[in-house]
Amino acid sequence: MMPVSSDCQILKEDNVTHSFCGLACVGWLYQKIKDSFFLILGTHTCAHFLQNALGMMIFAKPRFGVALIEEADLAREEPKLEEIIAEIKRDHNPSVIFLLSSCTPEVMKVDFKGLAHLLSSDETPVLFVPASGLVFNFTQAEDSVLQALVPYCPEAPAGDRKVVFVGSVNDSTADDLRAEAEELGIQVGGFLPESRFDRLPAIGPDTVLAPIQPYLSRVCSRLNRERGSQVLTSLFPFGPDGTRAFWEDLAAMFGKTVDLADREKAAWEKIEKQRALLRGKKIFLTADTMMELPLARFLKHAGADVVECSSSYINKKFHARELEALDGVRVVEQPNFHRQLEEVKRTRPDMIVTSLMTANPFVGNGFIVKWSMEFTLMSIHSWSGVFTLANLFVSPLLRRESLPEFDESVWLEGVMPSAK
Amino acid sequence: MRLAFWLYEGTALHGISRVTNSMKGVHTVFHAPQGDDYITATYTMLERTPDFPKLSISVVRGQDLARGTSRLPGTIEQVQEHYKPELIVVAPSCSTALLQEDLTQMARHSGVPADKIMVYAVNPFRVSENEAAEGLFTELVKRYAAECPKTEKPSVNLLGFTSLGFHLRANLTSLRRMLTTLGVEVNVTAPWGAGIEDLKKLPAAWLNIAPYREIGSLAAGYLKDTFGMPAVTEAPIGVLATTRWLNTIIEEINKIAAERGVPPIAMPEMRKFSLDGQSAPSGVPWFARTADMESFSNKRAFVFGDATQVVGIVKFLKDELGMKIIGAGTYLARQADWVRSQLEGYLPGELMVTDKFQEVAQFIEEEMPELVCGTQMERHSCRKLDAPCMVISPPTHIENHLLGYYPFFGFDGSDVIADRVYTSAKLGLEKHLIDFFGDAGLEYEEPQAAEAASTGTDSAPVAEVPVPAGAAAPAPSSSGEMSWSDEAEKMLNKVPFFVRKKVRKNTENFAREIGEPTISAEVFRKAKEHLGG
Repeated sequence: MMPVSSDCQILKEDNVTHSFCGLACVGWLYQKIKDSFFLILGTHTCAHFLQNALGMMIFAKPRFGVALIEEADLAREEPKLEEIIAEIKRDHNPSVIFLLSSCTPEVMKVDFKGLAHLLSSDETPVLFVPASGLVFNFTQAEDSVLQALVPYCPEAPAGDRKVVFVGSVNDSTADDLRAEAEELGIQVGGFLPESRFDRLPAIGPDTVLAPIQPYLSRVCSRLNRERGSQVLTSLFPFGPDGTRAFWEDLAAMFGKTVDLADREKAAWEKIEKQRALLRGKKIFLTADTMMELPLARFLKHAGADVVECSSSYINKKFHARELEALDGVRVVEQPNFHRQLEEVKRTRPDMIVTSLMTANPFVGNGFIVKWSMEFTLMSIHSWSGVFTLANLFVSPLLRRESLPEFDESVWLEGVMPSAK
Repeated sequence: MRLAFWLYEGTALHGISRVTNSMKGVHTVFHAPQGDDYITATYTMLERTPDFPKLSISVVRGQDLARGTSRLPGTIEQVQEHYKPELIVVAPSCSTALLQEDLTQMARHSGVPADKIMVYAVNPFRVSENEAAEGLFTELVKRYAAECPKTEKPSVNLLGFTSLGFHLRANLTSLRRMLTTLGVEVNVTAPWGAGIEDLKKLPAAWLNIAPYREIGSLAAGYLKDTFGMPAVTEAPIGVLATTRWLNTIIEEINKIAAERGVPPIAMPEMRKFSLDGQSAPSGVPWFARTADMESFSNKRAFVFGDATQVVGIVKFLKDELGMKIIGAGTYLARQADWVRSQLEGYLPGELMVTDKFQEVAQFIEEEMPELVCGTQMERHSCRKLDAPCMVISPPTHIENHLLGYYPFFGFDGSDVIADRVYTSAKLGLEKHLIDFFGDAGLEYEEPQAAEAASTGTDSAPVAEVPVPAGAAAPAPSSSGEMSWSDEAEKMLNKVPFFVRKKVRKNTENFAREIGEPTISAEVFRKAKEHLGG
């Protein structure tokens, strides 16, 4: 393992960003954990967010819903969820119910832990998941979901040296990661989360936790604390550079010296066309999905000029290697969007990686944009994801080149009522 | 407390931002936790706004609450510095409303002059999207509208046109086209595209046009009471309503023209309202009289949506297309009385008032209407039930923001609606053929509909993949409770597919009534006899 420097300069601002709250994680986790139900104790706002911003239109029987706090419920001591839980069990028969907090009940100081305990049964545990926008941004609440699962991961005995990958990925990516590890002679204990609640991996003092998503610091440090598991500190497995470091460092934790230099070189060669397009391009990342650090690092190594990389949450220990690799790049935690807007107008980046809320307006202001949410929904992990990852960045550049000239004064006329 | 999966109306913050996002020089600041500005994405993704919606969040974090700090003054300062709006509207979210803070006091600490800030704090647990939007718009009109001389030429204000409105741009175009033909100018359209200066000169118009019951009619009422401005509040949905709408405008304009001693305006020749200026302004009256449309007299239609659209569409279907209305409903409880009064004599029973989509779906399943007019949610329910459905009402959806000209208002709108009715419902001659020949080779539609219904998300319409008749899936879950003999099942398959589910259900109910545990060919025949074929 490389030594970790902790004196990296991070600017910290006031978090005036355009991004989603932690409830967003329901969007992919309910699909990942197939025998689960996600129950949000929340308001009209939470329900409207899920159905609108995440584009989730409900057919038949979705495995998530909002226990709606209405005006009459505000005066109650504690919310009564027994009937709703019974309804969920009757209609869905889930193996586990995640009870997600949101802003209003947190302001009301609802005792979520007590509530979950009360509703829980041996057959159907109800697990409290802190997810509200008072604390959590976008992908961060996945960390809470995984923490809620910790007590249900069996104890692996001492001496059981296996890797457990931490982070939800689709099944085919999981298969790839498993095969890759096995090829390196690393025994795989499983994934947290698996696609079913009843198949959670065993975790113990000799388990190596390999985080595969950059927003899961808390569950890793908790497992380190509670079970004595070791946490891999490396780059995240995105891009040829990150993937090589990830597997080499992981192998090292299993006492194996592996040199993947040739493999990395071959992977870079495979995306040489994309690199040629990215080389020297000024790229700006606004804060959204918390995947910004590894994405910026890949871009930097691919030859791009990262003007600014910002993220809502940066953990100097968990992200140490990424921060180190970003040496020389301006890194901002909890950025201020107004300031970034001025900065963007000044530096005129060639591409902006930004949220759903700001993507089209940046395009309207003459910039090329990649929406950040796509990186959470595409298979960009490890060797098999290299091509997809590179193409995600390159496709907006190519597309812009392929479209005809655009005269703003003609084609944007009256498009937006509030425009000047 | 109840378990909600989907809601028709948005939140108060949604309503507030719809108004401010429509306007120039007005910026909203949400005093809210991270993520409560998700609404921004609906403007940037559905309306594809090419500039940043004038909406900022002043983030409230848990630790701020613990420490008692507020970022609101700082955010207001930043907004003032970066965007220099003429007005900043400050609004709490559902969670921060509970804190009962004095937002006016907090906003004052920003140093931004008080007359440039408006705190709009409604109770988000009581007030939803439309009421908040209507309330804020009315407040803005009250705050700025000022006595001013009337325009020289006849003019109107178009009130209530709001960002994310249902087919809003096309409706606006349709009305503007007709007003131009009448020789009436538009003084101000608001809130859509209006600035503070525009609100000030609202009273310069001769007349207000406020076709949306949900947003704009209250402001029109205020302008009537305060400035004596008459208002036309009917929505011009259908040829009859549009003609009435035009006559009312002419009448009101001419009253004022007489007072002012200027020449009156007259109804132009009807062809002037058509797209080419040379033909009938709408195809609907002739279309409705054509022979094959006779079958529409027996078509049973159900209409569900907001107040404006439900009233307009029910009247159009019954009065102009001669359809049979078997029921109607709205999710806007506070408009229910108005809808009832407007639809007196149109409905066979009570108006359905509910914000639970499951109840609407249940009605549709029980009645199996031949045409459902509803929201996007009814479209989904109907897909599952294999009932014909057209979308006539918000909440808005990406499919309501298409590029083409599809108004619901005016003569142009009448043609759009009639076309949608025609393509949604089963047609005249086709229906006869299907009735006569049973499945008529259309067998494949059923299993595919059942599969479509079980899909999880809705970013795009489910692909229409026909399944060959031979591969027909086993009967859907509705048969789960009772077993059918092979022979009875065969007989059922001869019933036209679009009523098959209903026949299956009715037969099972009948069997239960007479105490038969299974459906044999005999029971099926008895049921047919009993239920009248």
